[in-house]
Amino acid sequence: MAILEGRNLRKTYRLSRRNTVEALKGVEISIEAGEMVAIMGPSGSGKSTLMHILGLLHAPDPNHGPAPELYLAGQNVASLSDNARTKIRARRMGFVFQDFNLIPTLTALENVLLACDYAGIRGKQAKQAGLEALALVGLAERADHKPSELSGGEQQRVAIARALVNKPEIILADEPTGNLDSDRSAEVLALFREFNREHGQTIVLVTHDAEVGEACDRVIRMRDGRIRDNGQRVATPAAAVTALPAVAVPA
Amino acid sequence: MRLLRDLGRRKLRSGLTITGITIGIMALVVFGSMANKIDALVKGGSDYYKDKVTVSAKGGYMGVGGVLSTRMVDQISALDGVDVVTADVAMLLSDEQSGVSMGTPPMISGSIAGADKGREKFQMFYATGRALTTQDEGSDVVVLGSDLARQDKASVGGTVTLRGVQFKVVGILEPTLTAPDNEAMVPMTAAQQLFVKTLPTLIADKLSANEIATGLVVYPKAGVDPQKIADEINAAISGVTPMTGKDFDKQIGAATSMLNAILIGIGLISLLVGGLSVINTTAMSVAERTREIGIKRAIGSSRWRIRREIVVESALIGLIGGLLGLGLGYLITTLGNDAGRESATILFDLTFGTAFSSVAFATILGALAGFIPAWGASRMDPVTALRYE
Repeated sequence: MAILEGRNLRKTYRLSRRNTVEALKGVEISIEAGEMVAIMGPSGSGKSTLMHILGLLHAPDPNHGPAPELYLAGQNVASLSDNARTKIRARRMGFVFQDFNLIPTLTALENVLLACDYAGIRGKQAKQAGLEALALVGLAERADHKPSELSGGEQQRVAIARALVNKPEIILADEPTGNLDSDRSAEVLALFREFNREHGQTIVLVTHDAEVGEACDRVIRMRDGRIRDNGQRVATPAAAVTALPAVAVPA
Repeated sequence: MRLLRDLGRRKLRSGLTITGITIGIMALVVFGSMANKIDALVKGGSDYYKDKVTVSAKGGYMGVGGVLSTRMVDQISALDGVDVVTADVAMLLSDEQSGVSMGTPPMISGSIAGADKGREKFQMFYATGRALTTQDEGSDVVVLGSDLARQDKASVGGTVTLRGVQFKVVGILEPTLTAPDNEAMVPMTAAQQLFVKTLPTLIADKLSANEIATGLVVYPKAGVDPQKIADEINAAISGVTPMTGKDFDKQIGAATSMLNAILIGIGLISLLVGGLSVINTTAMSVAERTREIGIKRAIGSSRWRIRREIVVESALIGLIGGLLGLGLGYLITTLGNDAGRESATILFDLTFGTAFSSVAFATILGALAGFIPAWGASRMDPVTALRYE
């Protein structure tokens, strides 16, 4: 079953009065539940914009032609209100960014707990889930460290723990290895692979890195705001999303 | 708690903002207390003069300055609508008193206890000791106002020297926040004796001390307009100036309302500056955290929550600044009053209302100052906010 399905997705950015950039020129995309997909393409090909739309950070443009469609597990989410999109991001999605995007004044655990808080999980239950998520990424010992006290690879693992803690249906990662050396990249990639294989987690990665692409089930290639190649699935995805071990499930 | 911890993590910025508010609120507390003191003084006077007519010699003012005769008591008593007339003698505590001072200068006043037949509505409370009685006439005893007592470190049973004469202290008043705080009240005869000594010999020789008065207080019968009595006095006796409560309000009220306007003006300017600095620092700190807001929005924080976080945080900054400002203001007014006591100049009256409204104002101002940038920040597109450097 497709967990994410989009049609007629367009996005134009207006940089100034006369200068507009057509970042997406009508994209059709389908991602199966339990798939680990890489979206690749050169700079400016629209891959980040596509990820922002799939992650409900942006709404697709209301087209003059055929209306945009975006389905999350069958539900049309193309024209939801900001509030409704925020709620879905908080409860059903996890985000990992190239430059980690941790809150510098909070400790690793507090950063992870922020995601619990927004999903409506608080108190002891949240703390337990947070610690377990940090343990999953191998940072149980570093829970009370600030981001500035962690290496880049560790920061990214905290960000992955934050993305995982609510056991979201989909994890969207924008160049998650872009700021890491090859050893750290391999670690992070291994983590994603593990969650996908063992827990059937759906993962969408935007990347430049061919090695990252190779580690995925499928590579979608983009160029000039369009999908050029939808790729071939190379591995059978896990049948269903099973619970991450001992990570709290939002009610 | 988490909020306080967050503030602690942005020490410099939070510290500077709080300092700005502290200074503004401190100024508000200090100037507000000063205005309170003036208001209490004026209100005390206004209440005192409301229901009566005071008579002084022409050129004198509020019962001080010229010499009247106690014989006028009978003359005025005979006028239509007059209930009771009392005579009193008032003089400056010392000749070195400068004419310029906040409030009223220290005075000696003498009157016969009970001469008002219960008409005087201005109540005085005794911290220690007792009131003067008719039996005190002829002896050198004194009731001291609270500021004078403190200044002289006087206590009941001790003595004070007034214009070279030793008086036994029989009572000390509770603070009234108005004129009596700076008064030494003595029996009529003692005051007359002291007053004669202040006059040039040539004039003193022609006066009999026991007829001297410097002011008369006329209490009208119930329902009689004090202005009518004042007109009657003007018509019947020459060389005197009757003054009603309305006259007092007009003269003193006009002078002090000017001063009050200046004080409140200074207070408001410091508030405005303080308020703008809160808005500025909050706006800056929100701009600095644009990226952080973007992260929070991306991982699922609602607009409403972003707003709430910023507003609550800036209100908390306002509250802390307000409390610190109040503390500093309290320190300044207390130290100021202690220093002023030496010269019997009490400048400040820090009331609960002033304290409470200053802190409340700082908190509300903080919240409002946070609201404007919070609104903008929450409207920002999360992706744009994330890319913000």
